[in-house]
Amino acid sequence: MKQAGVFLKKNKSFAVFAALALAIVAVAVFAPWIAPYDPYEAVMTDAVQAPSAAHWFGTDKLGRDLFSRVIFGTRTSLAAALFLVAVISVFGTMAGVAAGYFGGMVDSVIMRISDMMIAFPGMVLAIAVAGIMGAGIVNGVIAIAIVSWTKYARLARSLVLKMKNRDFVAAARLTGSTTWHILWRYMLPNVIPTLIVTGATDIGTMILELAGLSFLGFGAQPPVPEWGLMLNEGRAYMQTAPWLMLFPGLAIVLVVVVFNLLGDSLRDMLDPRNE
Amino acid sequence: MRKQFFAAAALAMGTALAGMSAAAAGDTLNFGCFSYADTLDPAVLTNSSWCLTRYGIGECLFRFNENMEAEPYLCDSYEVSEDHLTWTFHIREGVRFSNGNAVTPSAVVASIQRVYDETDPEKGGTGAATPRTYMEYESMTADDEAGTVTIVTSKPYADLTGRLAYPCFCIIDVSEEEAGKNIGEEGPSGTGPYVVEEFAADQYVLMSANEYYWNGDVPFENVQITFVDDDTTKAMALQNGDVDMVENITSASALAQIEAMPDQFTVSRASSARTGFAFLNMDGILGNETLRQAVQMALDHDTMCNITVGGMYIPGYSILPSALDYGYEELTNPYSYDPEAAKALLDEAGIVDTDGDGVRELDGENINLNYVTYTNRNLSDFAQAVQVYLSQIGIGVTIQTTDADTNWNLISAGEYDLGDQNWITVGTGDPTDFLGNWYSKSESNFGRYANEEYDAVYESLLAELDTDQRKEDIRQLQQILLDDGVAIVHGYYTSSMCSSKAIENASIGIADYYWLTSEITPAE
Repeated sequence: MKQAGVFLKKNKSFAVFAALALAIVAVAVFAPWIAPYDPYEAVMTDAVQAPSAAHWFGTDKLGRDLFSRVIFGTRTSLAAALFLVAVISVFGTMAGVAAGYFGGMVDSVIMRISDMMIAFPGMVLAIAVAGIMGAGIVNGVIAIAIVSWTKYARLARSLVLKMKNRDFVAAARLTGSTTWHILWRYMLPNVIPTLIVTGATDIGTMILELAGLSFLGFGAQPPVPEWGLMLNEGRAYMQTAPWLMLFPGLAIVLVVVVFNLLGDSLRDMLDPRNE
Repeated sequence: MRKQFFAAAALAMGTALAGMSAAAAGDTLNFGCFSYADTLDPAVLTNSSWCLTRYGIGECLFRFNENMEAEPYLCDSYEVSEDHLTWTFHIREGVRFSNGNAVTPSAVVASIQRVYDETDPEKGGTGAATPRTYMEYESMTADDEAGTVTIVTSKPYADLTGRLAYPCFCIIDVSEEEAGKNIGEEGPSGTGPYVVEEFAADQYVLMSANEYYWNGDVPFENVQITFVDDDTTKAMALQNGDVDMVENITSASALAQIEAMPDQFTVSRASSARTGFAFLNMDGILGNETLRQAVQMALDHDTMCNITVGGMYIPGYSILPSALDYGYEELTNPYSYDPEAAKALLDEAGIVDTDGDGVRELDGENINLNYVTYTNRNLSDFAQAVQVYLSQIGIGVTIQTTDADTNWNLISAGEYDLGDQNWITVGTGDPTDFLGNWYSKSESNFGRYANEEYDAVYESLLAELDTDQRKEDIRQLQQILLDDGVAIVHGYYTSSMCSSKAIENASIGIADYYWLTSEITPAE
């Protein structure tokens, strides 16, 4: 406990942003208790009402409480983004470590696929993938995963390349360690810190991309409370009912800023030069 | 990645606003409109021919007036034989194409013939326009001496004039094509007030006054059409003075805002002949009559029309708009809004929720209707509202919002339970073709509906020439469709044309085929 206190004192910015990130996660987890209304409950006759005591953020075009929808939107966006980052970092890292360590054919195949992915503008490719598979939040996640794993693969590969000819690896090999053991015991632990930092910074980016995909109609579909979708739904009312865009927009900004700064502080903390 | 996204967004906005220059300085009219076709060849797409009449490039032998009645236009009189098979049209004298060539009966025949040839696979035609839907003919001959065109049709038509007023038959100079002009890319020479100077698909059309125009003065020397697909952008372009007029702002709030500034903008609205509706696919779960009835009773159309889409649609229960003269008042609607009765109906039929998940089951499976819609004329808003209403009686709905083409492909292929459309019901001045969408022997029976009584009345309508009896047949057909609940009728769409005070007389009519007319003039 005392150690934790010292740690947090030493890394103030990390402590602050971690707390904020935890608060956001708490909002997602406790959404049903925080939101005053069911996010799907529509009172058609109360459509597009301005913010009031009864509806803090106003109501949308179907008369749903916008505050409740923004709160529940945290669940959708956060869950999707965390899952997405987990998938691409695990898969990308595995592919990258394999490519770097084994080299040759394995390296060529994995890296050429990765080159192909990088050659396309990511969002355009994601739109194409989502377009082919059909719109939906799950397909949106898959689409972005397909175009985003390459970063982790390249990163992991370069870190492994730097290490694989070092003496301690040669020593391990000489003493009869299996390939699996070397990968697991020596390669992975050395690439993980960098990839964690990348992953943390990516959460914000992924939230933004998922929202972008939903905004364009390729991600979440109605009536799911998702911020990008809510932004698009509010677009028609931009001049007459700006709160329909304002609050989901603010939610995106807030969450993206917090996770990006958390990623930055994590990087500062793990950076050996700051020791 | 973020940078790429923003770059893409900026690029999209740039494209949307590209070509918008400062508003009319007297001699130039700037018009912002949705891009419906990427070619101006009337044989390639039906929408292309619509563009020609809408932009004031092409005109037809007949033209619809504000009551959707076809009146002689490029033709000044006509005769029809008693059997309604031989039609003789006298072509107006002195009319010229915008390239100066005379509009002779031969030129008229060549123009109409071309649409048939270019859409006939046997003659190597690849066009997707559907002229045969509107007129099937045995022969078409021109008598340049007498100034007449004689068409012998394959079957009797009660009225061919409305069919010939359909944009698909707009008269263009086909001799230019023989001289090597690409009609689709450069735009044909028609008889309208304006002539295409430059066409960039999905971006803009530059036009100039037709110096040979036959029907009075052409008010503007130049017209610039800028294609703007997004509603909000359209409204803002008008407010900002980038364009002088825009068609169909379908966002009620954006339109209301423009209407609230009567000293700056004029808004013309017309109850169009369009019905917004969703086909019910009888081949799917909605083949169940009780379920269909419950669906119809669960929907509060007044609220959807007046609040959800902010009055952009007029509520009504028949598939044909109430404003048309086809006996709407005599119809009875068996399914007025009554969610409790809908629930009771389902309960009685044993369509209940046994596993407590809030969704009723039919044949052991949760009812989840596949609703395909697209973001045109508020249709996707209706879809979401329907989803809400149906959830209130325990029926699940999954919405698929796609682009127009995908939506159409899904409906054509029968891969849907509810499929949204917004159609002109009297495209040729008469709803016969439209009602054919529920005729079981028709290729366009998209709802897979079959009712012997309906088929019998429809067949009698096809053969009927007496106007009153036709109306009675049409009324009966509407009632049968209503009783069987074959479509969710969202309502009747109100078209709009908004213009700045820099110009006058920009208006929209019930026919929706005429946007840029020579009546639009600079403000005095």
